[in-house]
Amino acid sequence: MAGVTLEATRPAPVRPRRTGATVGLVARYVVLVLTVLVSIFPLAWLLITSLRTSDELFAVPVRLLPSTVTLEQYVTVFTEYEMADYVWNSIVVSLATVALVTVLALPCAYVLARFRLPGVKVVITVLLIMRMIPVIALAIPLFSVFSGIGLLDTVLGLVLTHAASKLPVAIWLMMAFIQDLPKEIEESAEIDGAGVLRKLVFVVAPLIGPGIAASAVLTFLFTWNDLLLALTLTSSEAAQTLPVGLTNFVTQFGIDWGPMSAAGVLMVVPTLLFVWFAQGYLVKGLVAGAVRG
Amino acid sequence: MATSQMSRPRAPVARRSRPAPKWLTGYALAAPAILLMLVIFLYPLGHSFVMSFFRWDLNSAESPFLGLSNYTDLFTGTSFGQTLRNQVIFTVASLVIEVVGGMAIAVLLSSKLRGLRPARTLLLIPPMVAPAVVGLNFRWLFNEQYGLIDAVLVRLGLPAIPWLSDPAWALVSVIIASAWQNTPLLVLLFLAGLQAIPREPLEAAAVDGASAWRTFWAIVLPLMRPVVVIAMMIRIIDLFRTFDVVWLMTQGGPGNASNLLTVEAYKLAFQSVDFGHAAAVSYVALVLSLLVLALLYGIPRLTSGRSAWQA
Repeated sequence: MAGVTLEATRPAPVRPRRTGATVGLVARYVVLVLTVLVSIFPLAWLLITSLRTSDELFAVPVRLLPSTVTLEQYVTVFTEYEMADYVWNSIVVSLATVALVTVLALPCAYVLARFRLPGVKVVITVLLIMRMIPVIALAIPLFSVFSGIGLLDTVLGLVLTHAASKLPVAIWLMMAFIQDLPKEIEESAEIDGAGVLRKLVFVVAPLIGPGIAASAVLTFLFTWNDLLLALTLTSSEAAQTLPVGLTNFVTQFGIDWGPMSAAGVLMVVPTLLFVWFAQGYLVKGLVAGAVRG
Repeated sequence: MATSQMSRPRAPVARRSRPAPKWLTGYALAAPAILLMLVIFLYPLGHSFVMSFFRWDLNSAESPFLGLSNYTDLFTGTSFGQTLRNQVIFTVASLVIEVVGGMAIAVLLSSKLRGLRPARTLLLIPPMVAPAVVGLNFRWLFNEQYGLIDAVLVRLGLPAIPWLSDPAWALVSVIIASAWQNTPLLVLLFLAGLQAIPREPLEAAAVDGASAWRTFWAIVLPLMRPVVVIAMMIRIIDLFRTFDVVWLMTQGGPGNASNLLTVEAYKLAFQSVDFGHAAAVSYVALVLSLLVLALLYGIPRLTSGRSAWQA
């Protein structure tokens, strides 16, 4: 296991005190501020754009700050576009995918981590390879399969697809957490007469809570952010999600920048919430997912 | 535990209090997830691999066997050559910018700086934002009439750049947007790696009077090798399946100037309704990414990483 933890707050390597030390320190703060500014400014610009009046959007020369702050773009996006449908579909698809992935991944990860059954190693290897498959290689045949069985343009079809494609990472992640548990805990539960299922639900699951949370957060965000699968497998407001909604602003109506920026801002809100409130899980998940698959 | 029972899987379990033998429980618990992946992931994938050797057109009932011609067609046509070249440029340029830039920033930030903690939280935002939003946002920033970037360039007395309409700049624009999104992730990974480096060799180097530059090359970089390898693996896999940013910024245009493999596969399937060629392109993308991974790190390393995991 790679000993990488983004959480680590150990003091950084000591640098020798030299005459240039102060200059060096100033340079470091400049880099810090610039890096953060460059990382955040484009998104701040999206927010600023979404708060302008339609006239000011196309003002030349470009103004840095809006002369009047208005929510008219947000109103437009809900009244003149199918925004409510996109948001609703995105929420339903993402939450249903998280539920399905969690329920399926946990028992599977437990078996892969703790049972020595024939086929376990094969499954683990296949999961690793699945992580590398380009989504488009999956989207193309699924379109033809789904059109044959009526799953095209349905929330159910999208949820099943997302669940299948997010399962490999979720299973790897949970396996990692289960393998870090001392076996003695499960063994003592076994002595107390707990069956496999009881052990999984009442002993293992609570202990790997952070792993389950990390997997859920990552599954939610990757499903929420996905464009390609939804673009391929949906075609109407019945199942189109927010990212597909964004492409509809481009292709159907020309580019309507005001409402589009408002839609973009709304899409980023869950991301910001997760980064703020679930940062630890997000980082754990990214690192474990990265290291292991 | 499981081992002893596994050596004789069919032996009847003596105690009646146990409803099912352990191996059966094991398979039963793992089955739902594996079944779903088989039906919705592996079967379609295999199906499209087989169909990449046929004429595969959803409108016609007949699908004659074509052998390798879906693949050879790609390499004789001119547009695929450009797509492939774009993909190589995009992958190499992005990797260099993200890894070198990410490492430089991480090394400079890797000391006791006030505000580093909140900065790390903020740096987590770009990698987690939907790539579709990133593409859309940069399309707006790069807009030639109303975009901020050209406005700033003009204000500084520089010529405005036709970011998205000039074939020479379109791919550059896409690389910039993608690097903006992903470099912070590498900064975070490298920062974590740098903090895990033992202090003794660094102190020894300082005592010996080694320059910061030499310390970095001789001590820090070799110790960071595993982290760099992991970071590059994640990025290579994702760079070969980049779609969202390109689709919202340029749709691969103008012409084919910013077309990447996944974008080409999507267009072939859903604009030209030519699923056979599209499937072939998607498999070329997969094989290329595996090839690059294998070339860089070797298949043994991939497998040894896995067995270390199981130990």
